[in-house]
Amino acid sequence: MQEDFHYYGTYCAAYLAGYSHEESLDICYCAQFVDLCSTTFLSKIKAPTKAATTQLQLEMMDARTDIIGLQDITRIWASFHFLPRDLYAYKPKRTKRYLNKFRLICGPNGDLLEKTVRIAKDKPLQHAGIAMHVLADTWAHMYFAGTPSLVINNVDNSFFEIIEKDGEEIARPIRFRHNPSAPDDIEKGLYTNSLYQSNENSIMNLGHGRAGHFPDYSFAKYKYMPAWGDYMEVLKDNPSDYEKAFTQMVYALKYLRGEVESFNKDTYDTSVMEKYGDRIRSIIRKRQLNACADWKSFGEELSGESIEDFDITKYEDEYDLIPADSKNKSFIGKFIEGALLQKGMVTDEISKAGINHAGFVLPKELNLRKSG
Amino acid sequence: MTKLQKIRNSLFGIAMMVAAVVMAYKPKDAYESVIVFMALGFFVTSIATLGYYFTMAKYMVGGRMILYRGVVLFDFAILTGSITDVPRFYVIIYLAVLHLFSGLVEILRSREARASGGRGWRLKLFHGIFNMSIAIGCIVLARRVNTAVYMYCFGIFYSGLIRVIQSFRKTTFVYIR
Repeated sequence: MQEDFHYYGTYCAAYLAGYSHEESLDICYCAQFVDLCSTTFLSKIKAPTKAATTQLQLEMMDARTDIIGLQDITRIWASFHFLPRDLYAYKPKRTKRYLNKFRLICGPNGDLLEKTVRIAKDKPLQHAGIAMHVLADTWAHMYFAGTPSLVINNVDNSFFEIIEKDGEEIARPIRFRHNPSAPDDIEKGLYTNSLYQSNENSIMNLGHGRAGHFPDYSFAKYKYMPAWGDYMEVLKDNPSDYEKAFTQMVYALKYLRGEVESFNKDTYDTSVMEKYGDRIRSIIRKRQLNACADWKSFGEELSGESIEDFDITKYEDEYDLIPADSKNKSFIGKFIEGALLQKGMVTDEISKAGINHAGFVLPKELNLRKSG
Repeated sequence: MTKLQKIRNSLFGIAMMVAAVVMAYKPKDAYESVIVFMALGFFVTSIATLGYYFTMAKYMVGGRMILYRGVVLFDFAILTGSITDVPRFYVIIYLAVLHLFSGLVEILRSREARASGGRGWRLKLFHGIFNMSIAIGCIVLARRVNTAVYMYCFGIFYSGLIRVIQSFRKTTFVYIR
């Protein structure tokens, strides 16, 4: 997903869940900040770099794909952008080596999602924002894994967008190119993707890189053969999935506010769709590269307040000026705590499932100076 | 990284450094060793590729390409092992182009890193300039027959050193409860 849904869409969900305008702004700021909090940014503001929630393109180009590098990459991408659906998934006649990657495939309504939302309960709003980013991405990034893997994430030329023509649905082939500076062309069905690399652990095979940015567009409905799918086509219906993502966010945020007692999988707040369904569906289904303006307009109508544009530098000065022993009380400090909590939880669960791609974790209280 | 992985990585790095020093000490005999190492490299890669196919890629859509790649690499290993009379001049030019390209890429990346506020741009710039210097060294010293061996040894030594350093990097992620 992109800024339109993570920032403005999350604002709408938070406001509909009962948060105030200011609280909704804080939540959506953090939801979007997950896509920008890189090692480069953290080192620039002198914050702990282990709290990084994303990697810049430049950082990924430099990332080593030895075991240490792979664990760094997987910790970030599996924890925040490609939350695994089932760490104990099974496929017959597969090697352990294969299954370890297969089990990292992202999808909605997994056990880890429940844990993600529950650990954000009774915490600062920054934690809620992080959880909403993770939740939303489980829908958009379904079928891809947050670790470099050719055998899981590769896609071939059998990739079709389902579009409507003369009132009928037709499958139009999607063409991929490797020019990162060229914008995606929705009309011609031309999208930028990462290069094919036959190395299993090449960074080009991370997440949905081989399908480019296409899976992140809310209007996209497509079918393709995932590398792991035994030559069976899967149909991905983003308009329907984004609707579920939105209503699940509202439900999760109501739980975090204390309006709902428990958070359970596969549960959605459908009441918002009864009232605002047509408006939300029209934004989601509109064929455009960026839906920020539409979501922003909807959010401003809901609250009657102006929603400022996202600004990555908004809390930098506060973090810089606050004394070192109080950093964790700053806005970014609280975000960092939330990020570490989420990263630690997911890494621990992956490790407990016998998968070593994210490394392992130690309880902080052990404070092993020579650990690892 | 587990302790076993650290030990294995360190030992491999040390072995690479020792091999580099020994070859640089006897450059006249080392040329054949370089060919053997290259052939061995292709051989190990081909076996690893075939292993990758049989344990993972055969379950993947279009995975048979990996099998073909493994077989072709195995052929390369045999071919390289049988080469004994490639003029050293061509090997030096090959090394020079390789370093020139790497240096250029590193310098461009350092510019990008600097523009985005990263701290590592100085190190990248240093790597870039260093690689360029090696490339120029290769071209200037192309007539000296042992240049290829020295450059190759330097590359192995550097990789070995990096392996050893990597082995001692702290890799545990501290879990906050």
